[in-house]
Amino acid sequence: MDLDTDVPMEDVSEEQQQSLNQSFDQGSSTAAGGANTSANGATGSGSHKTELNPSSISQLDGWLDKLSKCEPLSEEDVKKLCDMAIDVLQFEENVQPVQVPVTICGDVHGQFHDLMELFKIGGPCPDTNYLFMGDYVDRGYYSVETVSYLVCMKVRFPNRITILRGNHESRQITQVYGFYDECLRKYGSATVWKLFTDLFDYFPITALVDNKVFCLHGGLSPMIETIDQVRELNRIQEVPHEGPMCDLLWSDPDDRGGWGISPRGAGFTFGQDISEQFNHTNDLSLIARAHQLVMEGYSWSHQESVVTIFSAPNYCYRCGNQAAIMEVDEQHNRQFLQYDPSVRPGEPTVTRKTPDYFL
Amino acid sequence: MISPLQRHDKLVRATDLDALSCRFNANQRGYFIPPDKYIPEMIRSYQKHLPFCQGYTNLSVNRTLRAAFQEPKLPLINRGTYFRTKSIDIVLDDFISQHENKCQIVSLGSGSDTRAFRTLEKYPDSGVIYHEIDFPESTKIKRAAIVNNSEIMKLIKSGDLIENVAVSSREEFESLKSDFHTSVYHLYGLDLRKLTSSSVEFPHVDPTLPTIIISECVLCYLTPEENVQILSYWTDMFTSSCPTATMAFLIYEPMSLNDSFGKTMVKNLSGRGITLPTFEKFPDLDSRKQFYTGFGFNNANVTDLSVIGGYEKEGQSWITKEEFNRISSLELVDEVEEIKLLLRHYCLIFTGIGQNIRNVNLFNKDG
Ligand SMILES: C[S@@+](CC[C@H](N)C(=O)[O-])C[C@H]1O[C@@H](n2cnc3c(N)ncnc32)[C@H](O)[C@@H]1O
Repeated sequence: MDLDTDVPMEDVSEEQQQSLNQSFDQGSSTAAGGANTSANGATGSGSHKTELNPSSISQLDGWLDKLSKCEPLSEEDVKKLCDMAIDVLQFEENVQPVQVPVTICGDVHGQFHDLMELFKIGGPCPDTNYLFMGDYVDRGYYSVETVSYLVCMKVRFPNRITILRGNHESRQITQVYGFYDECLRKYGSATVWKLFTDLFDYFPITALVDNKVFCLHGGLSPMIETIDQVRELNRIQEVPHEGPMCDLLWSDPDDRGGWGISPRGAGFTFGQDISEQFNHTNDLSLIARAHQLVMEGYSWSHQESVVTIFSAPNYCYRCGNQAAIMEVDEQHNRQFLQYDPSVRPGEPTVTRKTPDYFL
Repeated sequence: MISPLQRHDKLVRATDLDALSCRFNANQRGYFIPPDKYIPEMIRSYQKHLPFCQGYTNLSVNRTLRAAFQEPKLPLINRGTYFRTKSIDIVLDDFISQHENKCQIVSLGSGSDTRAFRTLEKYPDSGVIYHEIDFPESTKIKRAAIVNNSEIMKLIKSGDLIENVAVSSREEFESLKSDFHTSVYHLYGLDLRKLTSSSVEFPHVDPTLPTIIISECVLCYLTPEENVQILSYWTDMFTSSCPTATMAFLIYEPMSLNDSFGKTMVKNLSGRGITLPTFEKFPDLDSRKQFYTGFGFNNANVTDLSVIGGYEKEGQSWITKEEFNRISSLELVDEVEEIKLLLRHYCLIFTGIGQNIRNVNLFNKDG
């Protein structure tokens, strides 16, 4: 039984309740699947937890304190943090069960100050449960602080926050889009980049909110018809160039029906027919995903069978978009909260390089 | 200390480093076929001469060049640079072939652009004559690059009398020549804002020849009034000497679309001290079409770079399928929505006076 000592008492009892339900669900699902379990050798419930001891808690709280000021951790601390995180994440499932109420968030992309704004808008964690659908790093200037913070929160409040893997949580992509260079700049070597990208392999790739809302970074795959097929994947690896795991992290919904070639060069586009069939087969009410810039922060497609959520306002300091998060309450009501870039008097906007334009 | 106007002009000139560094990166990545072999010479000349330019110190030169060239550009910037270069090349080639290789190209604010050399290489011993205009400070840097490179010197038919320009002080840089003239190539160092109907003359421009005038991110730094003045200057020059003259304008520049991307762009660029006076005044293709036809041009063919790149309707793309596949294979682009958003804010306009301006097919593809 997991007792999160940091959570107010009435929450704890609720949480115990949840984790009981959770064990039942997971008991059946792992019996059907198993690749995830074989990766860690554990059987039965996915909610294996080693309880945090007081010294870990105070260490984590110290790190969170530092990180919340946007100060990166030392290399040694990142190493310790990643080790602790592997201990938690390796026991999570490919389809991580999540209970309502929960607030679902999309891409963050190293925009640390906007992440702090997100927690202001959505309510602080652990009072509010969060589910992040990937893309914590690259493009923004604070990927290191952002991913450190979220991983720290994950270790500190494992049942309160779920962090999925996005297509940018990969060795290859981070070398093109900034996280690798940022690590070199901030630490003088690639060690921290290596630690985090090794950790990314353990991130769950999808989540299922109350068996009704299927959450993932990208979208569907022509090789996946049922959620059980996701459970069978061996996810603990670099994001492959093709195949079901790649598609889940790369695909996009499209106005055209059926499967299409993705302009991104990885994953597929899928039409309304595909989404409706998938939701029907798996008895889902909604697919929630991130991955695409949408100007209002969220956007419906396929007659509300798919929603895109994007949580990086003024993406890349250039796009001028709003960001949004989606709250799902106990009755499965959904509410979107939109927000603009944080006003950050302390932030050195002046020394920051102007984003590129064609001049 | 330099005056606010001098500082403004310095910052505008510095935008050429953005353009150059974008071309440099796209070229490195293999976007251009054949590869652009003239870019390194331009960069070398900047490295040598920028320290003697107005408003720079050794320290700030290093910082400026590092900021421009050190970090590789993102795939979406490389791709956008490719579309920009390619689409202008396409219109230019079309114009040249329509006039059976007998025409003039005038590049306003040409900066360190290498299109003159690429074009003269592609059309050797033809009737194509290339003129480039920029601030004297900028043309000095370009001239120094040219005379330092025997290949370029041959192309522009200057024999191969290489001059080794070695400058070690501001005074020496100041005294460098800013103009250069051969039978096929002309470089003029002057401020475009000085072009009022009679003041400046271009004895080497033949107003009886079909002419295409290019503004690739140049007129956007000038006020609407200065835009009109410059358009009038050239129009008067051509119509007064030949009523049936063909004079085309090819304009590539950003527009605001009155949306939050545009507003963010204004804010970001003003942080660099750059303003774009026509960006919001003519925010979209319609208002631009109106502006040019209202000015008295026959027609204005307008489109945006997202259409050209095939991001709106595949059939409207100016890029062949094979070519698109080739550039797609160069690097992974995970920025599809962003590239579309960015490219929609750049227009390409083909307008002017004369027979061939009316309706250009490329701009009016159905998709
Ligand atoms: C963004 S750069 C573009 C350079 C080149 N056309 C290209 O696309 O690579 C703008 C250029 O316009 C030139 N320019 C701007 N205002 C000018 C003026 N009033 N007179 C002469 N040149 C000007 C600048 O010096 C600079 O080289």
